[in-house]
Amino acid sequence: MPTWVRRSYKRMLELINIWVYYDKIAAVRDLSLSVDKGDFVTILGANGAGKSSTLNAISGIVKAKKGKRHSKTEGHFKGEIYFKGEKLNGLTAAKIASRGIIQVPEGRKLFPLLTVRENLQVGAYLQKDKIQMQRSLEKALVVFPDLKDRLRAKARELSGGQQQMVAIARGLMAQPEMLLLDEPSLGLSPVLRQHLAERIKEISQEGTTVVLVEQNARLGLMLASYGYVVENGKVALEGKTSDLLNNEDVKRAYLGV
Amino acid sequence: MPPVGIWIDGLIQSCTYMTMAFGMVLVFSILGILNWAHGQFYMLGAFVFYYAVTAAGIPFPVSLLISGVLVGGLGILVEKFIIERVNIPSAQGALYVTVATIALIFFFEGAASMIFGMQDKGLAMVLPGVLDLGSFSVSYQKIAVVIFTLVIMITMYIVLNHTKVGLAIRAAAQEPDAASLHGINVERLSLLVMGIGCALAAMAGSIMAPVFIINPFIGGIPMIMSLLAIVIGGLGSLTGAIVGGLILGFLNSVVAYHLSYFSEVVLFVLVIIILLVRPQGLFGASRK
Repeated sequence: MPTWVRRSYKRMLELINIWVYYDKIAAVRDLSLSVDKGDFVTILGANGAGKSSTLNAISGIVKAKKGKRHSKTEGHFKGEIYFKGEKLNGLTAAKIASRGIIQVPEGRKLFPLLTVRENLQVGAYLQKDKIQMQRSLEKALVVFPDLKDRLRAKARELSGGQQQMVAIARGLMAQPEMLLLDEPSLGLSPVLRQHLAERIKEISQEGTTVVLVEQNARLGLMLASYGYVVENGKVALEGKTSDLLNNEDVKRAYLGV
Repeated sequence: MPPVGIWIDGLIQSCTYMTMAFGMVLVFSILGILNWAHGQFYMLGAFVFYYAVTAAGIPFPVSLLISGVLVGGLGILVEKFIIERVNIPSAQGALYVTVATIALIFFFEGAASMIFGMQDKGLAMVLPGVLDLGSFSVSYQKIAVVIFTLVIMITMYIVLNHTKVGLAIRAAAQEPDAASLHGINVERLSLLVMGIGCALAAMAGSIMAPVFIINPFIGGIPMIMSLLAIVIGGLGSLTGAIVGGLILGFLNSVVAYHLSYFSEVVLFVLVIIILLVRPQGLFGASRK
């Protein structure tokens, strides 16, 4: 399908000519992409292709100017990012979160010494009141019922799979309009990965717009409806995932067929 | 076995070091910096308290709060207009903060000398009298020190563990990036935490003011001692700060009772031994 067909939709998120720098090294070079409301988009690519940097620019972890403190990931980006027609450049990560974009960071980044319940409460930090928070908690536990018995455990005591569930559940607690998932399958066994994939699918079907960054291209393409293949910080290929799955280059380079 | 009075003095010192060290660790855990002028906030707190009680005649529990609020506010200004500006993300940031806060030591001591004068001031008339307990007696002032320290510590415990702000502070201390991804404004939290840390120092200074003397240079010793307490307890651990403060306070007074001049030598040797056995401190997480 030619890209102009897709471009005719009303876009929820739009990245225009994004460059992400760490010191003077560019990790993302002139990348543009867009995500529609309700979409499930995946960003694929090899390690270091610039996928995570792109997500970090959207969520504000990488700042629009030279990095300020409080962020372990120091870097900055050039270009323009629009969310629902409003420019996100220059907003802090906290402000961007309050606009309805929640990122589940790579490596989960749970609060290790907080209990699972407290981790989820931090996820609901932007919720106005306790009732709303309780409702979010119930919803998150419907998606991840395994966590019900572990609410009192410290996050660091959980297994890798459970930690990943907490990370996503924490993201859901804010009831985001858009969920950015950074390598959620990393380090999980095939069974757990499958389980998690189903949960993510459910989240998307519930109406949350999802952007999934994956090194595991097969997983990304199976779940999402639209995909971007990123190479050397640029979009090398994009299209409906059904088309990408049959693309010879994608097959050879990412699916190992 | 030293007399009871020595143990009580140890407890009083512990109270100071605990409150000071707690504030420093709290600041360190969120801002990632050591405020070398922490002791001068202690000193300024003592002066604010002194003038609130003597010149304004405000009852002393209220004066204590005023001291905390005013000096805490000063801490917020220092964070906003000095520390935040020099704490750039590169490796030099930490060095700049160290230099800036060391400069503040001299600035605050000089300013206090000019404004308040260098002669010693006393507040012994606040809460006079002693509680007679048969074999020994304790002054009401010392009892007040312990009670107020307890109140402050319990308040901090409740704030950190049972409020939304407390949850945000703990989250930001563990994973600042993840905290900001969920809407926590870590920069604003830094201001608040710096305010709390300096307010704690100021209140420690105020509580101790009636027991000791007040002059512009009283901040140095409590600062060094609470720094030692932090190192013993493990940098970054609030429990460690409290336990380290307790250990140091008692050590200081009990060792001084037996050895007078050598007490500080013994103190530092003990600290070195603790660190040789547990380099991460008593409550610090070991680095893997």
